[in-house]
Amino acid sequence: MARHFDHMFKLLIIGDSGVGKSSLLIRFSDDTFSGSYITTIGVDFKIRTVVIDGLRVKLQIWDTAGQERFRTITSTYYRGTHGVIIVYDVTNGDSFANVRRWLEEIQNNCDVVNKVLVGNKNDDPDRKVVITEDAERFARQMDIQLFETSAKDNLNVEDMFLSITRQVLSHKLRTASDEQQKDRIVVSNKKGNRKSNKCCS
Amino acid sequence: MERGSNFPNAANAASTMATATATTPTSTTTTATAAVPPKRKTTMELVQQRFKSDEEVQLIFEAYQIIGQEHVEGLLTLVSSSKGGTYALVSFTLLRTPLTVSNDLKINKVFPINKSFQLTKDAKSSITQQQFDLSTDDERPIKYYYHPIKTDMESVDYEEFVAHIYSCKKSMSSAETHEEKVLNFRWLDDYREIGEVKQELKKRESQYIVYRDITIYCATWNVNNRPCWENTSSLQPWLARGENAPHIYAIGLQEFETITKIMMLNSNQLQMYTSQWIRKMMENLHTENGIEYEELMSVRLSGIILAIIVRKQLRPHILRCCIHKVPRGFLNAVGNKGGVGVSLQLNEANLCFINSHLPAHMENITARNEDYGIIENDMRFEEEGRPFRTISDHDHIFWLGDLNYRIQEPPGYQRPGPMSDASTFEQLLQYDQLRNEMRHDRCFRGYMEGDIKFAPTYKYDVDTDTYDTSEKQRAPAYCDRVLWKGKRIEQLDYNSVMEIRQSDHKPVYAIFQVQIKTRDEAKYKRVQEEVLKAVDKRENDNQPQILASKTVIDFGLVRFNEHSTRDFNVYNNCSQQVDFKFKVKDAPINDICEKWLRVDPCSDSLMIDSERSIQLRMLVDPNSITGLLRKMCTTRGKCDFDILILHVESGRDIFITVTGEYQPCCFGLSMETMCRTNRPICEYRQEEIKELMNDVSPEYRVTMPREFFLLIDYLHKQGDRLRGIFQSYDRRKALSAKFNDVRDWLDTWSEAEFPGTPETAAEALLLLLDLPDQALLEPFVKDLLISKSKSEAMELIALLSPPKRNVFMHLCMFLREGIERHDYELSNVASIFGRILLRSSEYAMTIDYANRCSEFMRRFIYIETSDAIVGGNGHGGATGPSLQT
Repeated sequence: MARHFDHMFKLLIIGDSGVGKSSLLIRFSDDTFSGSYITTIGVDFKIRTVVIDGLRVKLQIWDTAGQERFRTITSTYYRGTHGVIIVYDVTNGDSFANVRRWLEEIQNNCDVVNKVLVGNKNDDPDRKVVITEDAERFARQMDIQLFETSAKDNLNVEDMFLSITRQVLSHKLRTASDEQQKDRIVVSNKKGNRKSNKCCS
Repeated sequence: MERGSNFPNAANAASTMATATATTPTSTTTTATAAVPPKRKTTMELVQQRFKSDEEVQLIFEAYQIIGQEHVEGLLTLVSSSKGGTYALVSFTLLRTPLTVSNDLKINKVFPINKSFQLTKDAKSSITQQQFDLSTDDERPIKYYYHPIKTDMESVDYEEFVAHIYSCKKSMSSAETHEEKVLNFRWLDDYREIGEVKQELKKRESQYIVYRDITIYCATWNVNNRPCWENTSSLQPWLARGENAPHIYAIGLQEFETITKIMMLNSNQLQMYTSQWIRKMMENLHTENGIEYEELMSVRLSGIILAIIVRKQLRPHILRCCIHKVPRGFLNAVGNKGGVGVSLQLNEANLCFINSHLPAHMENITARNEDYGIIENDMRFEEEGRPFRTISDHDHIFWLGDLNYRIQEPPGYQRPGPMSDASTFEQLLQYDQLRNEMRHDRCFRGYMEGDIKFAPTYKYDVDTDTYDTSEKQRAPAYCDRVLWKGKRIEQLDYNSVMEIRQSDHKPVYAIFQVQIKTRDEAKYKRVQEEVLKAVDKRENDNQPQILASKTVIDFGLVRFNEHSTRDFNVYNNCSQQVDFKFKVKDAPINDICEKWLRVDPCSDSLMIDSERSIQLRMLVDPNSITGLLRKMCTTRGKCDFDILILHVESGRDIFITVTGEYQPCCFGLSMETMCRTNRPICEYRQEEIKELMNDVSPEYRVTMPREFFLLIDYLHKQGDRLRGIFQSYDRRKALSAKFNDVRDWLDTWSEAEFPGTPETAAEALLLLLDLPDQALLEPFVKDLLISKSKSEAMELIALLSPPKRNVFMHLCMFLREGIERHDYELSNVASIFGRILLRSSEYAMTIDYANRCSEFMRRFIYIETSDAIVGGNGHGGATGPSLQT
């Protein structure tokens, strides 16, 4: 099968159980939302191809079980991940407090730096307990971009996924050009050596 | 797509069709075809529908592939292209059988039959499984299988198939060496490497393709070796005609300098000459407010120059541009004759411009035709990483130049006097060699030329409008022409310029309006997004899925050395066969599950709508108890027995949680933990015992575990019945039948009589000492292994935790007594107990580990003769009282 994309990235969605990880994924991949809650027991993935600056980027997005008992096992899925989406529920303070732990998980399990912080269920001001300012302060402190989304009302979901994709893409392009730079330096070094050899002889 | 009857194999196809129908009972004669109502199309016809009209399916061969465990029906078709002059094998997957529409044929691979093409019969072929490999262009070979008996009458036999392929390959390699004809595989690009997205986008082209009008200005002039600085008059009458400023100029010159002079000039000078001419051109273009031009590319072959000049605003839309030269003339290499070309892509359209100077003189018609043919064939525009492009691979082709075709008047023809009006030109053109040759398809096949309403452009006396008055008296001719080929081209003007007189030729120009295939970016973006979404959706929807009847498997109360089983079902609820397996977990487990579990089966395939039962077997035994207790201690919160990863091939993973309540038992617990209990272990729950296990305080409720003491006490009282125990010990050995009774007797602190024999008591004692996570003499195993004397060892023993120290001393005393009574042998006991008490995976591999363990034990349990007793007496005596606790 021929490749119909220019880049392929693996994204991972993590966060406490019930914050809406699967809903965000379904909203992004199928543009649907189901009010009934089915807890993810395992690891699911969906694909979606987006076009960024004319480049087709195929995303394979992994949705992990958030339950505490699966913590050890889900950590093995961090391998080979290009970008991580950490989700909390703006109506649940504990899920926000646990973001720190999820960040540690990332630290311990993968070397990617691309991540976004997502406060989901941002559709009912009455129930919101994690105020935007606090989340923003925390995000700044951690140097992560913050998105407040609602999978239910389709708010900010597309933007959030595109943002992490852009981040991953520019990271990859940057690294690739760094590699080239390195190659160039190596080549010029060789030339330099040869010259100096000549001088010596 | 209906096939024309001019195809050579149409008759052939009709006859194969007849053979196919003959096998069906409804049609009895082959001549009755016309009377039979509309028939199902044959495979051959359906396959042919997948190709263009200049591509012909030569044969079909039934072959299948095995992908995963699936048997995928397919067809290999040998196709030839008259455009490319090449053959290829196109491999189709049959989405449905029998074939009814050509859409059921899906191209999965294309093999151009070129030098690197290989067909290799697999050595593993047998009567039942015949297989061969196909490969090309250094790609990995792909395996195909075929049935010994074909099902479709149109399909050829394997031998015939191979013979055809070989003859195609042979004809290709001989053609490649001759290089008479340009062979290419460009036609295959439409079939190869096309993912669904590309196919879909192509299908929906009409939704985003628009045609944009642009003006192309072609101009040609044989300048008769006159340098441009001698040319003081304006070129505007030649280059700035027409109402609007053109988008692209293609300006060709011939004889821009004599060949002898060119050979004398160095490259810098030549470059300068060329630049001067191009500057002159640039100065004389259309002038319109806000429109600026730039030179896109120019190419020179001796005296032939072609410059492509474009509007600056157009530059970003030109996606590629390259040149090629085909020298002719003296020795076919000098290049005073020949052609140069520029190929470029503007938006979605490929444009080609050729400037040629063909052989001169009235009689050289054939030479001109030949040179044209060679230029047409040899002009190859090569871009890195792509197959080259020939002239005919362009959408819009413009051919200009001094083609040198003359007016061949019949003998005795009286040339009309003054040549000034259309009717005179019309008369002359009847005898125009080029028109005549084109009419007979001897050159410029498929090219068009506009009406000529101007006087012959050759040969004039320089600086006049008078035809050749020299001795030679050359007949006037339409040497300088502009031709085109391609769709959506409209000529707006075609004329010569009389007032430019520096050369013996008059310049000619032609203005075209061309509709350029262009992508409407906004529309394209939308269509692309829709296509990607649809393709993604298909991929997501086609993801293999299974359902597990349970994701939590509860074993209830799990007891040491008692096995239990549970099962659950997996069900294939998607529309394809699904392979599943339990994933191997990372180190240190390196297995699909923990040691106390068995899963059966570990992997399997599920047909659509089918179900499979998976059995889990749980057994906490001497080999796994240590691991389970360790896991319990280190897990935050309630510990599950395991979490299995049920992996669906190319799909999701499902976590199967295996849980239950472990009934604590003395086996596997450390001496310290047992010394902390205040009631029989059977009365503890899993969480409670975990708490005790994780307790590190130095306070103990008893000096030595009651369970240990009870066993020793029982054994101690058996007297002669101990004879023959402690012969051997193997942790992996099955436990005796009475073992679980002993387990319960210990765990309940039973007052009842010991339920087993001295042998079961000995077995239990050894396990009690051996199963804790840490060896009894840890953390000093290493030091004790290298200790030289009993006193040295004793210093370390004294540092052990009180429960361990007491157990050790009590055990030694008990063993010593048995040895003294000759109940069991010193060497056996020393070896068995030494290895248990000094258990160490770290040192177990060292050469004298076993000896050191025995040696250590001997020091503590050997009763020496009087003189030896003196040696060990001091310490032995000192430890004596502690045994009485």
